[in-house]
Amino acid sequence: MPIENTRNFSIIAHIDHGKTTLSDRLLEFTKTITVREQQDQLLDAMDLERERGITIKAHPVCMNYKGRDGKDYKLNLLDTPGHVDFSYEVSRSLAACEGALLLIDASQGVEAQTVANLNLALQQNLHVIPVINKVDLPSADIEKCKRQLEDILQLPADEAVPASAKMGIGIEDILEAIVAFCPPPKDPGDGYLRASVFDSIFDPYRGVVSYVRVISGTIIRGQKVRLMASGNDSEIKDLGTFRPKMVPCEKLEAGDVGYIIANVKTTADVKIGDTLTESRKPAPEPLPGFKEIHPLVFSGIYPVSTDDFEALKLAVGKLQINDAAFTFMAESSAALGFGFRCGFLGLLHMEIVQERLRREFNMDVISTYPSVIYDVRKTDGTELQVDNPTFLPPANEIEEIREPIVKVDIMIPNENIGDVMQMVMDKRGVVNNTETLDDRRVLLHTVLPLNEILVDFNDKLKSITRGYGSMDYEHAGTQPAELVKMDILIASEPVDAFSCIVHRSKAESRGRQLCAKLKEVIPQQLFVVAIQAAIGGKIIARESISALRKDVTAKCYGGDISRKRKLLEKQKEGKKRMKSIGRVNIPQEAFIEVLKNN
Amino acid sequence: MRHLYVHIPFCHRVCPYCSFYKHTPGNTPMAAFVDAVLAEAEMAGRDYDLKLDTVYFGGGTPTALSEVHLERLLTGLRERMDLTGVREFTCEVNPRTITDSKADMMRAQGIDRISLGIQAWDEETLRTLGRDHAPDDAEETFHTLRKAGFRSVSIDLMFSIPGQSLEAWRGTLERSISLNPNHISAYNLNYEEDTEFFERLRKGQYRVEEERDADFFYAALDQLNSAGYEHYEISNYARPGYRSIHNEAYWLGEDYIGLGPGSYSTAKDHRWQNIADTNRYIELLQSGQSAAQPGEALTAEQRRTERFGLELRTARGLPESLVKAPEQRMIRVLGEEGLLLVENGHIRLTRAGKPLVDSVAVALMGA
Ligand SMILES: Nc1nc2c(ncn2[C@@H]2O[C@H](COP(=O)(O)OP(=O)(O)OP(=O)(O)O)[C@@H](O)[C@H]2O)c(=O)[nH]1
Ligand SMILES: C[S@@+](CC[C@H](N)C(=O)[O-])C[C@H]1O[C@@H](n2cnc3c(N)ncnc32)[C@H](O)[C@@H]1O
Ligand code: SF4
Ligand SMILES: [Mg+2]
Repeated sequence: MPIENTRNFSIIAHIDHGKTTLSDRLLEFTKTITVREQQDQLLDAMDLERERGITIKAHPVCMNYKGRDGKDYKLNLLDTPGHVDFSYEVSRSLAACEGALLLIDASQGVEAQTVANLNLALQQNLHVIPVINKVDLPSADIEKCKRQLEDILQLPADEAVPASAKMGIGIEDILEAIVAFCPPPKDPGDGYLRASVFDSIFDPYRGVVSYVRVISGTIIRGQKVRLMASGNDSEIKDLGTFRPKMVPCEKLEAGDVGYIIANVKTTADVKIGDTLTESRKPAPEPLPGFKEIHPLVFSGIYPVSTDDFEALKLAVGKLQINDAAFTFMAESSAALGFGFRCGFLGLLHMEIVQERLRREFNMDVISTYPSVIYDVRKTDGTELQVDNPTFLPPANEIEEIREPIVKVDIMIPNENIGDVMQMVMDKRGVVNNTETLDDRRVLLHTVLPLNEILVDFNDKLKSITRGYGSMDYEHAGTQPAELVKMDILIASEPVDAFSCIVHRSKAESRGRQLCAKLKEVIPQQLFVVAIQAAIGGKIIARESISALRKDVTAKCYGGDISRKRKLLEKQKEGKKRMKSIGRVNIPQEAFIEVLKNN
Repeated sequence: MRHLYVHIPFCHRVCPYCSFYKHTPGNTPMAAFVDAVLAEAEMAGRDYDLKLDTVYFGGGTPTALSEVHLERLLTGLRERMDLTGVREFTCEVNPRTITDSKADMMRAQGIDRISLGIQAWDEETLRTLGRDHAPDDAEETFHTLRKAGFRSVSIDLMFSIPGQSLEAWRGTLERSISLNPNHISAYNLNYEEDTEFFERLRKGQYRVEEERDADFFYAALDQLNSAGYEHYEISNYARPGYRSIHNEAYWLGEDYIGLGPGSYSTAKDHRWQNIADTNRYIELLQSGQSAAQPGEALTAEQRRTERFGLELRTARGLPESLVKAPEQRMIRVLGEEGLLLVENGHIRLTRAGKPLVDSVAVALMGA
């Protein structure tokens, strides 16, 4: 098929605006999947994606379409995640495309990630086709969306395609718009093979599978290829396209999106963003790579049972193969034993990794309170980066601590300005300016410490704005802050797993909150247990758990002593699932409870 | 083998909290039942080298047997076993199940100790417990037993019963003491699975409150101590010289043989239960078979766990030598916390530690 008949496009939108559902309809309409294969959000293949109803990884699919003009087209679609944690997936997908469908939920209108993802597409010079989705909803307001398209996004509203992914309305119009407006790929025509590797996964049966977009040249089986950045040479063992399952084909040509399997051992050998070329006739220069992604959020992950460390090590290793954004390093904790300090793109990413460890690898894990990475300059002039509160030097050795900050764009209804500004201030942020979007909405440009938006910022925003507020953020360097390490002592023993770095102004309330929570979740012991929060040696909050007074099951068991023994054995067994901190036994559930809720 | 237990599984009315194997007599052929127990006694005499120190008739309600049947059982037993060395022969008695002549007969047949199930002295609590006796019935039974001249009369009480106030419990203790029994057992009500009480607990009609349990426990401890009863096991109090030898044998892990349906036996690290089905039991013994069901072989670790669970309950305490080196840290910790002390090589619970015996046992094991 001539390259003029190929179209590569991503579907981008704010979270939940219907990208994956629209993909379903496109796959059905083009008969890429049979009626029998149909299921909702088909491309969300991971259990976790299906259960949470969100897309985590970008998914490519190749479709054949006969246009109204009678011509046959090859359409490569990339469904992308909407959640801000995974925006790097969006960028990488966009790099493989010439166009993008920008979905707008007709009942929600333009939201923060609509703007952010549109900007990503425009940066890559993609042609953007607006689609107003969910027009079937009674609360759909197409006119409002059109105004917002013009006012906020500066996109021509008359090009917008009204659609309902759910009801299958406007599907053919969308396909026609892609054929008409999305430019076909351009082949430089110099004969060199250039293919951009935009993702790679590890398949237990087939090994490393790389996702590629061919810019120029042709890939065939048996070809000797080279990854330009790493310099690794290998041989193409298999190749094909996503329909949406991997289906082998003879060759991948300029403009195509597909997969290759070469004889490389680990995904580490295939760097995402690298350029694949021919070993025999390498391209003179590589394609522009991707911005490297760095984890922003860190947390210690420990096996609940210390015996499971090796199994956990294997599991995190395997996870990383399919998730380049996830990092890990061995560490140990006095309270939790041996585990890993892991890096994530955000809290959702962290939750997902933990959840995958539980499900896919059957690992019972505890994770510590998420932390960001701090730049510390000591009084002796040395500098270090701290991603684990345990390693923060004593206060008297610290000259300055800098914390990461983020630029957060918050889109909200007018009437919530006051409350949201207050929240930003409570979170130690500043509002740099307020942009009026239309008669009902404003965009706050703010800067906040990353640490403060990690946990409940988005939830609070949603609740203040009754779901109408949305946010997007990007990294914006660091700034000095008055941060201190707060320790939690249980029966006078510091429990490193509960230590955290907090802003001085928040230490006390945070300390009180943690102590109260611990009091709630630590079961009564045989003696009174003091729970204290301390900064340096100074106690800033305290609680105490009264002692248990009675437990006897004082029945005369007659001769049935086995029964009594079994009760004791059960309790002994229960003790194994507890961590002993000094003289106190803390059940794993208590750690999980506290670490997850704070 | 020095200890014999005989289980008589009949009760005139079944209490809603009780999980022992028992049932109403219905149309159980009583004579056949007595013969079956005697047949089993004969088998036990052949299988074991019996040098009995203690015999315990429990239930159920042993005195639910008529005087005639009970007497046949007692004489039959003496014909088949040498009971001359027996130092303690206990029989459980329910109020309203005994007459002067029945008591005299029991006394004459060698029973020298009675455990009388009074449970409570106030009508309301007795009603909650579903007991079929009134306070005065219990008192009358007590005097009947005294008149018959048993060496020791013990009474069973229960506390922390739904609706029972601390005052009512103190009153129950008071009235019990005024009768001057030789021994008192005071059990914290336990919600046993498969009982109506457990069901009510599950449905939220009843609640377990540890604080309340503790208050009731200490009320008993203080009142009985000051009346001259020694607290020699978590649930048991005795005048000097009147401890239950049979029960102490259980607590110290000695072997015992059980007769009757549903009874337990432990011999040489083997523990089993007789079939808990009276009719099947009778059939088996009639056809010369054993009523024992496959049991369990006790490992050393299991026996050790049992010793922790049982010996810590006693006044003598748990031999310190049973505590392994890595566990010894906890002896110190719990000692510092005032829950136990070590004396003459034994770990004993303090006043604060006593109601926490199970937790202490678990804390010490595998620390
Ligand atoms: N009424 C209506 N609901 C829709 C339509 N399209 C999608 N939905 C619903 O919107 C929700 C989100 O749909 P998805 O397709 O998972 O959204 P997404 O944009 O892929 O979400 P992320 O991948 O998490 O960013 C689902 O409950 C869909 O059923 C539509 O046209 N009309
Ligand atoms: C083996 S029972 C039989 C005694 C006799 N049938 C009676 O009811 O008087 C011995 C004692 O166990 C106690 N008991 C029975 N069920 C109990 C329970 N669920 N919780 C605590 N003690 C219980 C009662 O005090 C009872 O007297
Ligand atoms: S408590 Fe006594 S009388 Fe009541 S059912 Fe149990 S054994 Fe029978
Ligand atoms: Mg999706």
